[in-house]
Amino acid sequence: MSLKGVKPVARVLAREVAVTALLLLGVSVVVFCILYLAPGDPFSLLLEGQMSAGAPGQDVREAMGAPNAWHARYLSWLAGMLRGNFGASIRTGLPVLEEISRVGLNTLLLTLGSMAVTLLVAVPIALYAAVRGVNRVSFPLTMAAYVVSSLPVFWFGYVVIYLFLHTFGLFPLAFGGSQGTNRLYLLLPIVVLGLGNGTLSEVIRHLREEMGRVLSEDYVRTARAKGASVWKHAFKEGFLIPVTEIVASKIPFILGGAVIVEQVFNWPGMGRMAWQAAQDRDFPVIMGIAVLAAVFVRAGNLLQRFVYIAVNPGASRETIGRRVA
Amino acid sequence: MKRVSVVILFVFGMTAAASVWAADSRKDGRPNGGTVNYGEYGRPATLDPVTSNEMVSLRITELVFNGLVGINEKQEIVPELAERWDVSKDRRTYVFFLRKDVIWHVLPGEAPKPFTADDVVFTYNVMMHPKTITPLKVRYEFIESVEKADDHTVRFTIKRPILNALAKFTFKILPKHGPANPAYLTREDPFVRRPIGTGPYKLASVSGDGEITLAANDAYFKGRPHLDTIVAKPFADQNIMTQALMFNAIDMIALVNPRYLPEIQGDKRFVLQPYNALSYSFFGYNLRNPFLSDRRVRKAFTYALNRQEMLDSFFNGQGTIISGPFAPGSWAYNLDVAPLPFDPPAAAALLKEAGFSPGPDGFLQKAGKKLALTLKVPIEKESEAVKRVVLAFRNYLKNVGVDIKVEFEEWQAWKGDVFFEHDFDIFFATWVFDDSADISSLFLTAEIGPWKNNFGGYSNPEVDSLLMEGKLTLDHEKRRTLNRKLHAVLAEETPYTFLWTLTNYTAYHRKIRHVAIHPYKFFSYADEWFIEP
Amino acid sequence: MRKRYVEAPGRTDEASGLRFFRKSEAVDLFFVGYGLLIVVLVAVSYAAGVFRLLPHDPEAVNLDLMLAPPGTAGHLLGTDFMGRDLLARLILGIQAYFLPGLLAIAVATVPGLALGVLAGYGAGRADRVITWFSNLVDSFPRLVLILLVIAAFKPDIYFIMVVVGLTNVPATVSLVKVKIRFLREKNFIEAAEGLGLPRRTIVLKHILWHHCRASLIIRATLGMGEAILMETSLSYLGFGVQEPTPSWGNMVQSGANYFLQGNFWPSTVPALAILLAILGFHLLGDGLNNLLERKAVY
Repeated sequence: MSLKGVKPVARVLAREVAVTALLLLGVSVVVFCILYLAPGDPFSLLLEGQMSAGAPGQDVREAMGAPNAWHARYLSWLAGMLRGNFGASIRTGLPVLEEISRVGLNTLLLTLGSMAVTLLVAVPIALYAAVRGVNRVSFPLTMAAYVVSSLPVFWFGYVVIYLFLHTFGLFPLAFGGSQGTNRLYLLLPIVVLGLGNGTLSEVIRHLREEMGRVLSEDYVRTARAKGASVWKHAFKEGFLIPVTEIVASKIPFILGGAVIVEQVFNWPGMGRMAWQAAQDRDFPVIMGIAVLAAVFVRAGNLLQRFVYIAVNPGASRETIGRRVA
Repeated sequence: MKRVSVVILFVFGMTAAASVWAADSRKDGRPNGGTVNYGEYGRPATLDPVTSNEMVSLRITELVFNGLVGINEKQEIVPELAERWDVSKDRRTYVFFLRKDVIWHVLPGEAPKPFTADDVVFTYNVMMHPKTITPLKVRYEFIESVEKADDHTVRFTIKRPILNALAKFTFKILPKHGPANPAYLTREDPFVRRPIGTGPYKLASVSGDGEITLAANDAYFKGRPHLDTIVAKPFADQNIMTQALMFNAIDMIALVNPRYLPEIQGDKRFVLQPYNALSYSFFGYNLRNPFLSDRRVRKAFTYALNRQEMLDSFFNGQGTIISGPFAPGSWAYNLDVAPLPFDPPAAAALLKEAGFSPGPDGFLQKAGKKLALTLKVPIEKESEAVKRVVLAFRNYLKNVGVDIKVEFEEWQAWKGDVFFEHDFDIFFATWVFDDSADISSLFLTAEIGPWKNNFGGYSNPEVDSLLMEGKLTLDHEKRRTLNRKLHAVLAEETPYTFLWTLTNYTAYHRKIRHVAIHPYKFFSYADEWFIEP
Repeated sequence: MRKRYVEAPGRTDEASGLRFFRKSEAVDLFFVGYGLLIVVLVAVSYAAGVFRLLPHDPEAVNLDLMLAPPGTAGHLLGTDFMGRDLLARLILGIQAYFLPGLLAIAVATVPGLALGVLAGYGAGRADRVITWFSNLVDSFPRLVLILLVIAAFKPDIYFIMVVVGLTNVPATVSLVKVKIRFLREKNFIEAAEGLGLPRRTIVLKHILWHHCRASLIIRATLGMGEAILMETSLSYLGFGVQEPTPSWGNMVQSGANYFLQGNFWPSTVPALAILLAILGFHLLGDGLNNLLERKAVY
């Protein structure tokens, strides 16, 4: 019905991007609404911050001619944001975007690293359970995963630090040491978050079910009967898709866990900054972080959709409505 | 001919060497070099002395800036940026003659700029500008005007003669060329993050994770400090910070949590050094509540508390119980007034006398109203100790039949409730004094009102007159007597239940030597510290 | 759970290879029994609180016996940083989770059901819009959103649980939607409509009650686990249930301050309790899943 010349795949991709953009717009509306409903007048602070981050030394209130209607304020804030001006932190006076991009990278590192750890642990277990079913090996492992998923992650973090301190006699923090950043210790919070973010059991279960399901599909059975490599056929649908799917859907959880782990391990990330901002009522910062976190989540989702479409060009003919929330 | 030239060269060489040696050494025979890493709980928001209001920032500005005068370890006033001064006979005019050899910290690629009277005038104007957000204004309102007499002379005129005025001129001086805005200072100004001062250390860098590196100022007018660098490392978790010290990841902690004192004490690598804090903790009462306006009730509460037990259990006994409104280290403290002992029967008797009798649920009541009060506490960063004190208070009072409801509120809300709405019955807090004995803002009737410090609404004509007399007198001995009387009266009146002054401890590695600590500003004498090679 | 393929009975067993549960229903019953245990514990907690049946007074401060390990002086599980009995506080602490958790589940379920039915039944436009909203809500990490809410308002635990519940709505919506699509594919709905059944009956009785209730109950158990973890995380950060009211989260948090000095128990005892509770909910969910789903009406 639309552009005939454009390939269907490109069309679908463009549509995905458009939907993501629309979602991020929605995110900004939600964040704005929460602030708007807050008692007190956090607005002048926010908008003033945006103005002064661009023009130091001016008398802000006079220069602004503050718009009063909520939609005007929203648009003004949004316009500022799109230009890269997230306002200035109430606590430090620094421009927010600069601050949170610096820490956002640290958190991104932590998040991606822990995701990798979670997968490293979950995939072998899931594969084994999918192929061999439940037996003496896979059952205890799956149970262990359940147990680990139920731990409060900061307690787990303290236990690990205690072990390092008293059993190994090492000071296991990468940041805050006088010997400079000891790269190896960067792994510690990543491992702790990877294991302790509470999603391990679900990841294993999802992967095992999807893999199991694919393995019993007809086309795989045919391949097996033909003597062809099962793995090659099952890989795309049984492995790649479920993995990217679960990864994309678990990003919000891991970001949440990062808030805690960053406190325990003194990791200079977005989560720690968000906690500080919540305490100080530093609205520009917390709003900026909420938006940035949503960007991470949606980026992950978008990537997952791209993979899905790349693997299944046939999906390009399906409507977006098929995408399950 | 040759001999003469050799002699000349020799003399020249010696002079040159001597001058070089004199310029960058303090002539105290101690070695230069080394780095001290110290741990801070939390990160400073700003690094300048005007907009900052946290202890963390205060410690850093102490290293980076100077005042006109300073205070040495013996609490005497010594010259700092001013080499001498004149005070007029009517004690209202102070003329400071500034040093001529002071240079502002040099930024790379810029020429050195000398310190002049213009900077002093600039600092005063910025501090008092209505658009500058700073807690300092109220402290310096006694100054009427300042003017530059010449490049190295400044004249201050004050509104009325006050006791020990000279000590007030320790406020830090900012460079005129520093802030971007020439009129007033706000947190958006880049200067608050990249401060330029005249002090022994200058800001070298701030790392991505908030570590602040300060480098020695070679041109410091008192001589280059011994330590090459001082690095402030922020920590989000006090437990981790202490472990960092134990594992040599940092060399020093400014304020050690009392929980860790035994552990550090046992470790021979570290020195645990106490320094007197001019601060004390207390429970404040809102006298607007009819129950609390009765002095017997307040006194009963004080009898009901076992302060020594709390001090021993929570703080390892490291502190002194106080009986009145001054810190025990202060000259104003009246040692003759003893703290009320732990005496629950006395408490019960007082409450009975005040008209309370046990109600059906075991709690006391009077005329049908239960003696139930709300205790509001701010959720602070390290509230473990506060939590313990507050819960213990609740327990002790429950034992004498008083029902206390504890409410933890976040800081801004708490401030609003206590200072503005006066919507509370009791609260727990700690006053930190930088001056030893001016408590007038706490108990004067005139200081009752929104955002003023007499939030309990305490009003007593005798106390008012004692306070006013003390403010106006210029005789130190008279002031002392007045304060001792105040102490006795307030101990009897109990507008607060005074708790204790904790002994502050700093812990540092033995290799750092000649460490003297200022009770409030901490690093005042850091230019003397050195590291044992 | 996000599934692109509708789960149908019978396929679950073959597909996942989890033949274990087919081996004995006894295990499923064990898990369900665990769930009943939880109900009993909640009841005990309230009863103990009301009738003062606790071993020690949970608020009795004892400064001589702070941070005591389990077994000291009649304290079965030891004492906390104020010398208060851990076991008593643990039992009382159940209450801190129960009502807020129920609130979160209620808030997640009721709107979720309504929206899910709208999306699944209506299809087309309603479906797309609701999907978009679901994705919107899912875009926020829960904790970050809660921090934003905390910064803006000054919420108590109930308000926070409402927000948590709202963030769980998309999951419920998807659950209902998928079921409806499945039923549509099986022409069940067409048949029912053909028979002249009023739409309301179809939706309420047949779709929701017969087909969705199992999944909803399972979702609820998982939701309870999440609510517990959320409260624990908030307590660590200093928000959440405040002293002197005991909650397992604030018990772990205050205990953690003494952990590195060697006092494990004040922090570990409640952490283990949390572990067992959440583990229990997960297993309960799984057990119910296998028992109920397999018995679906086909």
